[in-house]
Amino acid sequence: MNTRRWLLAALLLAGLGISGCATVHPWDRDLLAKKSMRFVPLPHETAVDDHIYFSKEGSTGGMDAAGGGCGCN
Amino acid sequence: MRTRRTLILLMALIAAPVLAKAPANAAKTLPDAPAFTLTGLKGDVALDALKGKTVLVDFWASWCGPCRQSFPWMNDLQKRYGGKGLAIVAVNLDKDREFADEFLAEVPASFTVAFDPSGKTAERYKVKAMPSTFLISPDGKVLARHAGFDTKHAPEFEAQIAEALPR
Amino acid sequence: MTPRWQLETTGLIYGEESRATVVEPVGRLTRLFENGRALSLGLTLDAITGASPTGALPTGQVVTTTSASGHTTTSSADATPTHPFQDFRGAVDLGWEEPLGTLVNATTSAHYSQEKDYASLGGGLKTSVDLLNRRFTLTVGGGVNRDRVFPVGGTAQGLASDTAARIPGDNPKQVVTGLVGLSHVMSRRWLMGVTASQARETGYLTDPYKVISLVDPVTQLPVAQVTEKRPSERKRADVLGSSVYHLEHDILYVNYRYYWDDWGVRSHTVDVKVRHDLSETSWLQPHVRLYGQSPAQFYVFGLTHGPPLPEFASADERLGPLRTATVGATYGFHVPGSPGEFTVRGEYILQWLVGQSAPQAANTTVGGNGLRGAAQAAGDDQGGGGRPFGTNIGSLLIGYTVAF
Repeated sequence: MNTRRWLLAALLLAGLGISGCATVHPWDRDLLAKKSMRFVPLPHETAVDDHIYFSKEGSTGGMDAAGGGCGCN
Repeated sequence: MRTRRTLILLMALIAAPVLAKAPANAAKTLPDAPAFTLTGLKGDVALDALKGKTVLVDFWASWCGPCRQSFPWMNDLQKRYGGKGLAIVAVNLDKDREFADEFLAEVPASFTVAFDPSGKTAERYKVKAMPSTFLISPDGKVLARHAGFDTKHAPEFEAQIAEALPR
Repeated sequence: MTPRWQLETTGLIYGEESRATVVEPVGRLTRLFENGRALSLGLTLDAITGASPTGALPTGQVVTTTSASGHTTTSSADATPTHPFQDFRGAVDLGWEEPLGTLVNATTSAHYSQEKDYASLGGGLKTSVDLLNRRFTLTVGGGVNRDRVFPVGGTAQGLASDTAARIPGDNPKQVVTGLVGLSHVMSRRWLMGVTASQARETGYLTDPYKVISLVDPVTQLPVAQVTEKRPSERKRADVLGSSVYHLEHDILYVNYRYYWDDWGVRSHTVDVKVRHDLSETSWLQPHVRLYGQSPAQFYVFGLTHGPPLPEFASADERLGPLRTATVGATYGFHVPGSPGEFTVRGEYILQWLVGQSAPQAANTTVGGNGLRGAAQAAGDDQGGGGRPFGTNIGSLLIGYTVAF
């Protein structure tokens, strides 16, 4: 059971790496530079939601990683 | 046991890029600066026309935060070294000219601005970060390339520029 | 000039039908330094009043229930027994962000929160590294929490009569968490990420106010109550897949999370948002979230009166076969001429339990009909899947962010 779940994680990871090897130059990051192009575009809303669902449901987690952005400096 | 090994591997993965920092300047033999002719604010801008001057070619875009900080610094350089043989060409890489115009209305430039929306010139210069600034000698060789901009390292760069001015 | 400060303020008004009402203001002030360093201070205040389900089953008659905290309530015939409560929580958190070189970013955080019966102190560390020309970002993080649970009136003994003597004093609880994430810039328009996290909780994990009804096998009616009891350890894990895609004009956010733990709870969460610009200064972001959970091994609707009690049991709906559906939208706008952005969000949440198959504790199958019947009598029975213990929730969230 446990191995199957970690396999799911590995699969998602693989999909992440393999699919879409489009070239993205440093100057192609115009859209990615937008504040709304983030995993958590509205942090204050997500923080409140995390608290609501943590209180009302049995699951936790789902913390996002960093990534994307303008890639400047 | 396995978790510990994974953890060490992960930490090594994080440490590696920090330890292996690429040097800011180019190799020993100076490469030629790729030529370009781009549309400017008033007519075309060609690198060849600037032979004999020390040229600072800066690649920027409206969405790049550090670029916004570099403009006042470049305006200052233009004021102090413009008469001493320095030419600044700021090459804009916005896909939409409108965004570049908005930026220039907010942050005016006293130096030359050129437009490269297709990014072909940036590719020839092998731009790796935004902004990227290239210091070109009066005989057309790339003396230095700087990736990114921050006010802390600006004086160091300025000294390099002053050193490269034509005598 | 470059902004030095950032202020985010939020106000939440949240109401559950016949249950709790929450008012929660939140404020966060960030001081930005050169080179990307930042210090942030956050403050959250929470005022909750209302009623919370006790875990007891409704009966066909008016009944008086006494909760584990000593409150006595009289419920009407078909209503899910609840007990009134009022609580006030304050939380403060500190964060320090520091870039290490151009490719690495580290964040340290600490938080403390206190309410009438619970105190929590925690800290965390998160590092992210940009790899391969900033096409990939690897994030690694961890945290520790040291909590204390001190129920009002003392701690009830688990799986004992709810009128039995209570134990005074604190109950410690410790949580250790870790996460690993990888994000990939798939194209100029598309950012994807996968994050895996784990947590281990030890200590007092029982809800001190929840009870379980003991149902008489003959009459099928609740005749007594016992307090619930949960294991003193819980190992949790989850995998989250996130996607941000910039269409021609709109941005599509899709998240999927799969969660599992060693109490038997497994869940799927799907969250979709679309950000649509209405003008240069305003936008609309509709949102749908769907959640489905399968119950903990020791979850029961109720227990049969007579046979010996299981080792662990809980009738807390949050550990049961739960479904949550959320629909809402956020409207964001800038007031022309003034800095900062306002957001206004309205959401409707519907939560319900499914499940004819209460998990197999030794004695829940006996009198199963009775338990199910009693459960269905509680809420709107839509027929078929039944909707016992359903809740309607509405919330309004107003936010304001400004940099200066």
